[in-house]
Amino acid sequence: MNKKTALVICPGRGTYNKAELGYLARHHGDRKDMLATFEAERARLSQPSLKSLDEAERYSVATHTRGDNASLLIHACAYGDFQAIDRDRFEIAAITGNSMGWYIALACARAVSREDGGRIVNTMGTYMQENLIGGQIVYPLVGDDWTEVAGRRAEIETAMAGVNAKSANQVYVSIELGGMLVLAGNDAGLKALVKALPVIDRFPMTLANHAAFHTELQAANSARGLETLPASLFSQPGIPLIDGRGVIWQRGATDTNALHQYTFGHQVTETYDFTRAIQVGVREFAPDCIIVLGPGTTLGGAVAQSLIEIDWQGLSAKPDFAARQETNPYLLAMGRDDQRQLVV
Amino acid sequence: MAIDRAAHVHEQFLTRLAAQDFPDTGLGLSAEGVGLSKAELGKIFISQMTSRQLDRAARDLQKRGEGYYTIGSSGHEGNAAIAAALRPTDMAFLHYRDAAFQIHRATQVPGENIIWDMMLSFAASSDDPISGGRHKVLGSKRLNIPPQTSTIASHLPKAVGAAYSLGLARKAAPEFPAMPKDAIVMCSFGDASANHSTSQGAFNTASWTAYQGIPLPLLFVCEDNGIGISTRTPENWIAESFKARPELKYFSCNGLDILDAYRVAREAADYVRRYKKPAFLHMGTVRLYGHAGSDVQTAYMRKAEVEADEANDPLLHGARLMLAEGVMSAEDIRETYTALGQRIARIGEQIITRPKLLTPDAVMESIVPPKRDVVPSNHPSNADRKKLFDSDMRAMEKPQHMAKLLNWALTDLMHEHESIVMAGEDIGPKGGVYHVTAKLAQRFGNRRVINTLLDEQSILGLAIGLAHNGYLPIPEIQFLAYLHNAEDQIRGEAATLSFFSKGQYTNPMIIRIAGLAYQRGFGGHFHNDNSLAVLRDIPGVIIACPSNGEDGVHMMRECVRLAREEQRVIVFLEPIALYMTRDLHEADDKAWAALYPPPGEGKPISLGDIGQHGRGTDLAILTYGNGYYLSRQAEAVLSKTHKVKTRVIDLRWLAPLNEAAILKAIAPCKNVLIVDECRKTGSQSEALMALVQEGAKHAPNLSRLTADDSFIPLGKGATVTLPSKESIIEAALELVQGGAL
Repeated sequence: MNKKTALVICPGRGTYNKAELGYLARHHGDRKDMLATFEAERARLSQPSLKSLDEAERYSVATHTRGDNASLLIHACAYGDFQAIDRDRFEIAAITGNSMGWYIALACARAVSREDGGRIVNTMGTYMQENLIGGQIVYPLVGDDWTEVAGRRAEIETAMAGVNAKSANQVYVSIELGGMLVLAGNDAGLKALVKALPVIDRFPMTLANHAAFHTELQAANSARGLETLPASLFSQPGIPLIDGRGVIWQRGATDTNALHQYTFGHQVTETYDFTRAIQVGVREFAPDCIIVLGPGTTLGGAVAQSLIEIDWQGLSAKPDFAARQETNPYLLAMGRDDQRQLVV
Repeated sequence: MAIDRAAHVHEQFLTRLAAQDFPDTGLGLSAEGVGLSKAELGKIFISQMTSRQLDRAARDLQKRGEGYYTIGSSGHEGNAAIAAALRPTDMAFLHYRDAAFQIHRATQVPGENIIWDMMLSFAASSDDPISGGRHKVLGSKRLNIPPQTSTIASHLPKAVGAAYSLGLARKAAPEFPAMPKDAIVMCSFGDASANHSTSQGAFNTASWTAYQGIPLPLLFVCEDNGIGISTRTPENWIAESFKARPELKYFSCNGLDILDAYRVAREAADYVRRYKKPAFLHMGTVRLYGHAGSDVQTAYMRKAEVEADEANDPLLHGARLMLAEGVMSAEDIRETYTALGQRIARIGEQIITRPKLLTPDAVMESIVPPKRDVVPSNHPSNADRKKLFDSDMRAMEKPQHMAKLLNWALTDLMHEHESIVMAGEDIGPKGGVYHVTAKLAQRFGNRRVINTLLDEQSILGLAIGLAHNGYLPIPEIQFLAYLHNAEDQIRGEAATLSFFSKGQYTNPMIIRIAGLAYQRGFGGHFHNDNSLAVLRDIPGVIIACPSNGEDGVHMMRECVRLAREEQRVIVFLEPIALYMTRDLHEADDKAWAALYPPPGEGKPISLGDIGQHGRGTDLAILTYGNGYYLSRQAEAVLSKTHKVKTRVIDLRWLAPLNEAAILKAIAPCKNVLIVDECRKTGSQSEALMALVQEGAKHAPNLSRLTADDSFIPLGKGATVTLPSKESIIEAALELVQGGAL
């Protein structure tokens, strides 16, 4: 049987929400070695166990979205999902991720070991929590049909420039997220930016417990990461990796020092271009499908919008994508039970 | 049936890889020894394998009728190591076998999808980011690789120009810089192409320039596979030809060995960057699969020779290095190579569904470059101009002839736009043969007013290269007849750049050419050429031809605007015989002289604006240049003596013709006479006859008077084959009387 080739996408923060409570137990309860590895990391730092978080009676925004809790919890779910992909039916052509999903991608591609992957995610999530600076908001670039609204990007850039004109304000593009822009900045800057941007439905939307990720405001966290998580943790990836600039890291051609530097340097302090990563992924690997690891299903829209922007396989607007998903799904979200069944 | 050599080389690679049976250059280099990291070595090797698999895919697509180009890079993959030795900001004018160079450079710039992009070009898809499906060219705006086909080595002169621009940038900044100041320029070509006179001119110009201590940071790369299509390059020909040229330092490397190619390319690039001098890197390669898909090598090579090249497959040499350096195992290589092949095959299935160019409008969309934003320039103050012009200010109070007026216009324009650079034979201290460039070198320095060597290809190449780095060049061709040995630099290079790059690369310039006939007392054909045919059919090129000084000033200003703002390639043809002409009807009437209109004054002339003298409706004379001057003399006689009410129309712009304006201007006239000083065959008159026949609502009586299909002789016979005042009057009367006035 011919295997299907797949581009795998690792999720970022904010994907473990109320509906995902129990995800780890439900899907990966039997991966005892994996869970033990990650729980050991939690224990090392005297942090609440993943089990206690995942199997909590109630979902708590305050608890579950904290960087030092959410990061490894999401990582464990996603890493488990990656292991669950039926390799007899799917060949992984390349792996990428969104934001924190980059750390997950490193582990899935075996550029870092399972243990070190857990440690990296947990450490960086903890640093972020200890040093919460600023926040993130989301704002749309596209309309309801997921096609670009003419002039919207320029409008946002003008609003940002206006805000940044005051020296106390700092706002940046944090993530190019398909049809959305994630904007980040210090509190004063974000406050001013929220005022400056016209309200469109529920946007600009503030992301709870998020900091100004992927901006220079994270310089201190970047420095800590570079220092405490050394280059020796990194090795040649077994599967091609696509980073948040669209750069492909391949076996035999990866400078592990450069990968280390990117992971805790540029990746932490500069814009994360998820859109570009997806577009490079489909163009350079032409996969038969895209598998988005769980938990959650929030990345599907961003992936589809990234494809629509480049008119991928005739997808020119949301209805095309919806129709494609109905008949012969191109994007398989493991966080959705129906699509998960097609992958595991 | 002939063996499919591409399939054979592919199988051989896998078989010998499995057996670890590798060729060896015997150089014994190590990655550490040449300063290359193992990761970079692996990356170069993957670039090479990618290039190879793309070549195979191009052939597969062609067999299926989905691909249109099979001239590959197989055997030349060593140029990936050259890319590794350069910076992505070093502008690279590439040989058509340099896919591996571009693939590797794409690894140096984040976010590239190089396989996708290259395959779009195989399929001639309009999505192809460089040419938009117009040709399979190597090229990329983001990677600083201007596109060209490089088929006849016509890209070498512009590489010299681009390198010159880097030295110039330290003295006078370009308005639209494309390279950092510490960049170098790279230009590659094959061993056979090194013999083109165009290449030889470029090598000579590079040497000649550097010999005088002028900075020219240019790395020539000759990829020597020993054969040009089917003709062998004599053994050691390249080495013997290039190892002792003045100020062109010779380096050589084995392109089969990544480490040697990298080591020497690095050394050569460092030399060029450090000393700002040109170098010649001679890289030995092999050519696999023949010249192109249809080429059967065994028709002209012995089988043993073909096999000897194949046994030296650079990928086998690369695999040996991977194992020796512990970068990849044989199994890693096999897996990577195979996965690349599968990946490229999948991408191929996607790209064949991408759109193609299907309409004339779509094809032609990028012939005319896009407009660009410019900072509006303020005209220089009067005080500045007084200082600049000095004693000329007094002369400006009197009417002057065209040569003087053009000189002042150029002076004002160079003063206003620092990025204008002039180049030509004798244009410096001498001020040009006709003094049109007088005092410019003294006023603006010899770096902006360049006295070139006597090579028209180099002059135009210099201009093209300068424009690639954001200057506004105004090259001069001393006489129209001298254009012909260099016209491909306009036709094949300058005019096509926007077309082949979707308007991403442009080379705006104004090529001043002194030309046309009617010179008294000097001449012969080479100084009185009266044929523009070579220019007329080049898509997108503007041809301006002023008939008098005042028009010349306004048209030159419009040309600078067109080049600077609209990025156009313009030929500005100056009628030599009218340079010094002051009088029209009689001695000292000064009717052909004019006061110099300072910048911003006078009535501007826009592209397409025609000139008209008289409003008569009996006869319209359509003409330009000397023809306009002579027709004005004839018109006085026709009006006064023969009572023929005449209008004389000066086309001013020969391409594109403003057809609507011309038809409107002749519409009220019963008779139309076309007067063309160029030869009957191929002259503008042909287009004008067709235009009037096809376009005029009420067909007028129509005839034309042109020069005979002759070359211009010397002496008293110099004007006998040309239209004259008398022959114009005669033709006009014949037309008008025949037309029952």
